[in-house]
Amino acid sequence: MVTLSEGAKRSLDDYLRQARTYLRGSRSVDADEIEQNITEHIENELEGEAEPVSYDVLDAVLKKLGSPQQWVPMEELPWWWKIIYRLRSGPEDWRLAYISLALFVAGLLTLPYAPVSIVLILAGFLTSRAAISEAGDIDKIKAQKWLLYPPLIVVYLFVLLALLTWPLALLIPLADVYERDFRESYHYFSNENDYWFVATPAILAGLGLWWSILAIVLLKPRRLLQVVFRPFAEKVRSKWALRLLLIGLVLMILSAGIGVLYYQDFI
Amino acid sequence: MTGTLYYDIVYFMDAKFFDNWTNQLRKGVLELCILKDIRNRKMYGYEIVRHLRKIEGLIISEGAIYPILSRLKRQGLVDTSIQESSEGPPRKYYKLTEEGEEMVSQMNAYWQAISGVTDSIEKG
Repeated sequence: MVTLSEGAKRSLDDYLRQARTYLRGSRSVDADEIEQNITEHIENELEGEAEPVSYDVLDAVLKKLGSPQQWVPMEELPWWWKIIYRLRSGPEDWRLAYISLALFVAGLLTLPYAPVSIVLILAGFLTSRAAISEAGDIDKIKAQKWLLYPPLIVVYLFVLLALLTWPLALLIPLADVYERDFRESYHYFSNENDYWFVATPAILAGLGLWWSILAIVLLKPRRLLQVVFRPFAEKVRSKWALRLLLIGLVLMILSAGIGVLYYQDFI
Repeated sequence: MTGTLYYDIVYFMDAKFFDNWTNQLRKGVLELCILKDIRNRKMYGYEIVRHLRKIEGLIISEGAIYPILSRLKRQGLVDTSIQESSEGPPRKYYKLTEEGEEMVSQMNAYWQAISGVTDSIEKG
């Protein structure tokens, strides 16, 4: 038995693992017999080489043997084996894309079991982000986007909605308290619609203020948005933040307008 | 520019067509060569590879020979026997079965006929 260097040993183990994975899917060949032949072939080829055999020397032998993918025609493999094979030994970027979509679909299928579903969708999201980071350049992902984008879109929409509307969770109870105080102090409301003249301006003012603050914060550090919402915020521009600021200001003006209209009549 | 792109595409399609065609042809020829190689004497796997790799353009991936041997064995065209070796561990030798012998004769005859047909078409 030829002694291999650490790097060569790792490379050989990886090669044999790939060969085994691929050959076991084919019913027309005996995977164990082929593995034995391949090992024997490598030993024969390395005979007379300086020991421990380096990675480069072994690599030259493995290159001549060729990729195990070339050995058995794809059509000989059952469909389910092709999927498993692509997951186990396909290019790293595609493997992550398949796993990401599988986790996302599993998350959707388990929607009635909310905690499990959320964990699966988040895992799909993280795998998608990992695949995009692995690709480095966003232009490299090409067709993979059909597998990688669904979990990203769902999570990003949720985050965006939460970022824009979280003050409502605070404002609605506050507006309620404010309206109650107002009612107790003045005993004025003639009908239920008056509630909206007191509570709505308060909610709109709070929301408008938050969106204005958010817009001002996002005006400069666009990089933060690009990192959080990658790859969809790559082309984010200052004008987006300016539009949000404008909407925030409009909401505050609207709130002030409703307040003035109502209170001038009341006072 | 459009013209260059057109020729690039045509060249790419030609290259792809040629690759596919040679791959299919090589696969069949390689099986015939393996069977013919062990027709007269039994040989071990590595010995077959070493012998066939001398034929230029026949083997692209040396490892591909072993699955072919395994398939031929499952199909009953070749048989194996283990023999002690003075140079190392025992070796697995491949030899043609009677069924294999018949198959090689048929394949050989077909090959001769086919190559004759292509020649006759060329001559008109």
